[in-house]
Amino acid sequence: MKFLRVNMSEKSVQFQNVPKGYAGLGGRGLTSVMINAEVPPKCDPLGPENKLIFAPGLLSGTSLVNTGRVSVGAKSPLTGTIKESNAGGTVATALGRLGITAIIADGQAPKGDLSILRIDEKGEASLLPAQAYKGMRTYALAEKLLELYGQKSAILCIGPAGELQVTAASIQATDTDGRPCRAVGRGGLGAVMGSKGLKAVIVDQRGKSADAIADPMAFNEAAKAFAKAIKAHPFTGQMLPALGTAGLVAPVNSLGAFPCYNATKGVLEGWEKISGETMAKIIAERGGKTTHMGCAQCVVHCSNEYVDKHGKYMTASLEYETIWSMGGMTGIVDLDTIARLDFLCDDIGLDTMSTGVAVAVAMDAGKAKFGDSEAAIRMVEEVAKGTEFGKVLGNGPAAVGKHLKHQRVPVVKGQSIAAYDPRGMQGNGVTYATCPMGADHTAGNMIGLYLSGAMDALKPDGQVAASRNSQIGAASLDTLGLCLLVGGALRTPEGGQALLKALNAKLGTNLGPEAMSVFGIKVLQAEREFNRKAGFTNKDDRLPEFFYKEPLPPHNKVFLVSDGDLDSLFNF
Amino acid sequence: MDLDVIEQPARSGFFKNLLMMKVRVKWFGTLNPEFPSYDSEKGLEVELSDGARVKDLLARLRIPEVKGALVAVDGKVLHLEDPLKDGSSVHLLQPVYGG
Repeated sequence: MKFLRVNMSEKSVQFQNVPKGYAGLGGRGLTSVMINAEVPPKCDPLGPENKLIFAPGLLSGTSLVNTGRVSVGAKSPLTGTIKESNAGGTVATALGRLGITAIIADGQAPKGDLSILRIDEKGEASLLPAQAYKGMRTYALAEKLLELYGQKSAILCIGPAGELQVTAASIQATDTDGRPCRAVGRGGLGAVMGSKGLKAVIVDQRGKSADAIADPMAFNEAAKAFAKAIKAHPFTGQMLPALGTAGLVAPVNSLGAFPCYNATKGVLEGWEKISGETMAKIIAERGGKTTHMGCAQCVVHCSNEYVDKHGKYMTASLEYETIWSMGGMTGIVDLDTIARLDFLCDDIGLDTMSTGVAVAVAMDAGKAKFGDSEAAIRMVEEVAKGTEFGKVLGNGPAAVGKHLKHQRVPVVKGQSIAAYDPRGMQGNGVTYATCPMGADHTAGNMIGLYLSGAMDALKPDGQVAASRNSQIGAASLDTLGLCLLVGGALRTPEGGQALLKALNAKLGTNLGPEAMSVFGIKVLQAEREFNRKAGFTNKDDRLPEFFYKEPLPPHNKVFLVSDGDLDSLFNF
Repeated sequence: MDLDVIEQPARSGFFKNLLMMKVRVKWFGTLNPEFPSYDSEKGLEVELSDGARVKDLLARLRIPEVKGALVAVDGKVLHLEDPLKDGSSVHLLQPVYGG
């Protein structure tokens, strides 16, 4: 259990034992508690006082399936709030296998100076000069680094967008095939990485020094039961392997809550052309992969490999949120264009969600017509070219709205909404408004509750309580390194019990089911405290005005949850 | 097999319209009731007794409970006991969670 402290001003690396105050924390739990403790809340997010923390989850690196998520945290240059974003791929498992609880990068290299951080299979770390990679896009960079350091390397890297320090810059993570198609997408963490002068982190996957497990036999038993529960659940056992997260296009449109044409309608004309079902059909016909293991330790295999009509690779891990932002919000009902935009964003190192919404705002403002594929591709390529508009687009939808003097900008605390309209799913709107990290799609998503009929998506009643529980649940899962998609399986008695048993067997504890809520609450409290000190108040926990004024067809509702109710969410 | 399952045995022509209704069904996810003539763009027209409920439609299409099928009509989720209306456009979906 060690921290790797990387000082980018002095170019030094140092391991330390995890201090007592951070014991028992992982993933988002660790990043949020540490940022709240060590980062001055009013600091410049692109300056030397911000810290960029990479933390695998508490269960990453063990034999438990679906524990491949790495959390990355910092003060966000996009929102000014605390931020955690996580990605799959192979880094979390690699770090877990080396017993590295977190990498903490602070300070700042001189302007223009670029380094890579390399950790070998013995766990030895070094900062190496990376001027040769300046401006390099992520696919070319990953190929080069895998050649140099071996195919068994897990990579996190930035593209030109991160080096330009635009606030929609992502950190890309390599999948099991070594492609940088997975993303620490939201909140501009790629810009923080660029501001420190760090181009990539490369971790060898062959580590053999994982933290000891307190009760290995009990752990293995629980791990078997856990994997069984995941495979038995229809979402993780059938839907995701067949269609990926793109399987959400049909239900969300069926509920009239798919924000499209810059969030002016809830059903996209022609959505069936870009549904998960259509995507799987196209991929199968063209010889791509409809089922694909993107992340280490995964038994779900929700990823995919999208190919063009000649069978040539276009992109991998084409997700629901990207199909929404690049297809729904822009009105582009063509999967080939969406796949191209997905690849471009991965290669340039941009959040596909913020970028699609930024393009949609530009379209709504008249810069191009909705549905204009070529215009969308041109706009995204401008980010890499560093043109004036490219820099604006790279800074996300709020920047585009300001530049083009356009009022309809669907962001909260500067971060764009996700693929569920607040007027069609009132509870998701509550999460967008109140989440400490801005509008967020993983922090407290209630699509499961609505689709099962357990709650009415269109009424304000009960949404705050449901969002509260959902946010606490998501925060606790985010500390473990678990993929959120297993949430459904975890709600079954078998799945939930297996996870708790595995956690207790790993840590040597005797935690009850309420312990998970305790983790989640602790994380949210640390995040709220940081934000308060950074100057945020309840006034920032609101949606943009148009959600309250413009009814969304087909249900023609506005956002109905009162300010007073929103302010009661964190009463715990 | 299609015809046996979709259409009720012929009733007297005079009373037929009074006792039957039609819905248009599309299915998504990995739901795959075996209907070789199913056109995913047009969906499938299913004739049901007037007053039929969601569970009657699922039984007619022989969708096993283990698939966890959910039904949405006009943008709203219906429960098993809810009645269907003549002329409705019905989407059969599977449970999903965020991502």
